[in-house]
Amino acid sequence: MIFLRRQLPLLITLITGLLFAGQYYVPHPASEQMLTSATKWLQIIGGFALILGVTSLFHQHAVKITRQEAGWGYSLVLYAGMLGTIAAGLWADGKEAVDGAMTAFGWVYNFMMVPLQGTMFAILAFFIASAAYRSFRARSREAAVLLVAAVIVMMGRVPLGEYLIPLSGDVSSWILNVLNSSVRRAILIGVSLGAIALSFKIIFGVERSYLGGGKE
Amino acid sequence: MMSFSERMLKIDRRIIFLVIGLCTLLPLLYPVGLPIKISSEVRGVYDHIESLPEHSVFLLSIDFDPASKPELYPQAIALLRHAFKKKLRVITMTLWVSGTGMADQLVTQVAKEMGKEYGQDYAFLGWSPGGPAVIINMGQDLSSAFPSDYSGRSTKDLPVLEGVRSLKDMTYMVSLGAGKPGVEEWYVFGKDKYKFEMGGGCTGVMAPGLYPLLRSGQINGLIGGLRGAAEYESLIGQKGKAVAGMDAQSATHFAIIVLVIMCNAFYFSLRQQRG
Repeated sequence: MIFLRRQLPLLITLITGLLFAGQYYVPHPASEQMLTSATKWLQIIGGFALILGVTSLFHQHAVKITRQEAGWGYSLVLYAGMLGTIAAGLWADGKEAVDGAMTAFGWVYNFMMVPLQGTMFAILAFFIASAAYRSFRARSREAAVLLVAAVIVMMGRVPLGEYLIPLSGDVSSWILNVLNSSVRRAILIGVSLGAIALSFKIIFGVERSYLGGGKE
Repeated sequence: MMSFSERMLKIDRRIIFLVIGLCTLLPLLYPVGLPIKISSEVRGVYDHIESLPEHSVFLLSIDFDPASKPELYPQAIALLRHAFKKKLRVITMTLWVSGTGMADQLVTQVAKEMGKEYGQDYAFLGWSPGGPAVIINMGQDLSSAFPSDYSGRSTKDLPVLEGVRSLKDMTYMVSLGAGKPGVEEWYVFGKDKYKFEMGGGCTGVMAPGLYPLLRSGQINGLIGGLRGAAEYESLIGQKGKAVAGMDAQSATHFAIIVLVIMCNAFYFSLRQQRG
């Protein structure tokens, strides 16, 4: 059993990891065909992952409801929403509209999901303003630099700022194109090197946490 | 007893909410219409589409959901209007399952407005699971990633996709992304391997993160947030919701700047009082 639980996954990881890292550099038709098949599998696995995610969500909230944990009422709302949407979706064959007429699924999407998601995102503006007032203070020299840069960028990104201080647009653009880009690039290079190192550790079986715990 | 500065620093947040609410609402009701300066980032996308010959294949990936609709929907409308006006063959799709219905409505609405025929001038492929895997699969074989379009028609039978077998056959591609998968994934898994020209669009908060791709020429243009959408609307000469929203954005930005200055003034005054 230890072979199936430990050694086989490590072996699959080693072979596929090396194979597909190498595949990128081999433009031979056979190599391309292998990539086509593998991505098809990935798409199929992606579909199953969605089912797995939904099942896991249902299970988690079912436990909350049966144990009547704090906020179990919200779990009940989630169940009603999910089951209702799934039923409406199956009934309408996944279509929001049929021959120009809106289906129940389309109604749920247009009049529940769209406004709810929009509201959630719109609320952010209010909380950001409140948080900025409470915490955006020049407590140190670094914080002061950040504050000045933020004010310039905020001014330079709107017509009113450019109208009142015409230079703010160019300064804001310079901050974004030069300062921001160079720092972001440095972070990206660091993260990418880290990702390469981690990939090697996973491929060669040094990093095994993805296998999970459990008895050997 | 609390000093004035202390009281101001602990101001009820509902007052801030009210200020932001008014700053958003009033300019929408009474627009000023300040001029919008066009940035080189947005012009990059516009100029490239403008330079494409008729019947070039333009892929628009609508990678966002209704949460980002206020910023990215106007971008998508402006891009589609421009592409249709240029008589390009427009292929649309999404990598975000929750954005599928919205993307379908968006494409249908603009195509109807521009008098375009489905299948002949444009197509909506819908959504397929896998995120980045869909991009690679499209790069290998488009009909394998999307055997049928959103309405169930075989993609192989769509005249608009004639001669288009993979991403390599796309003349230009723009991803309007609100997160992952989005612009970065399209570059890493798509453009880098399958060598097509690419531009991007994103929400305002994401734009600074994509500047490295822009500066290195990995994407040839970037439409950032509502401001980017307003610039694009100005470029195509069809002002819409983005231009209308710019006054509100101007006012809210200024309200936040004033609030930040005020909070710092009170903070330093309090520090001085306490020695």
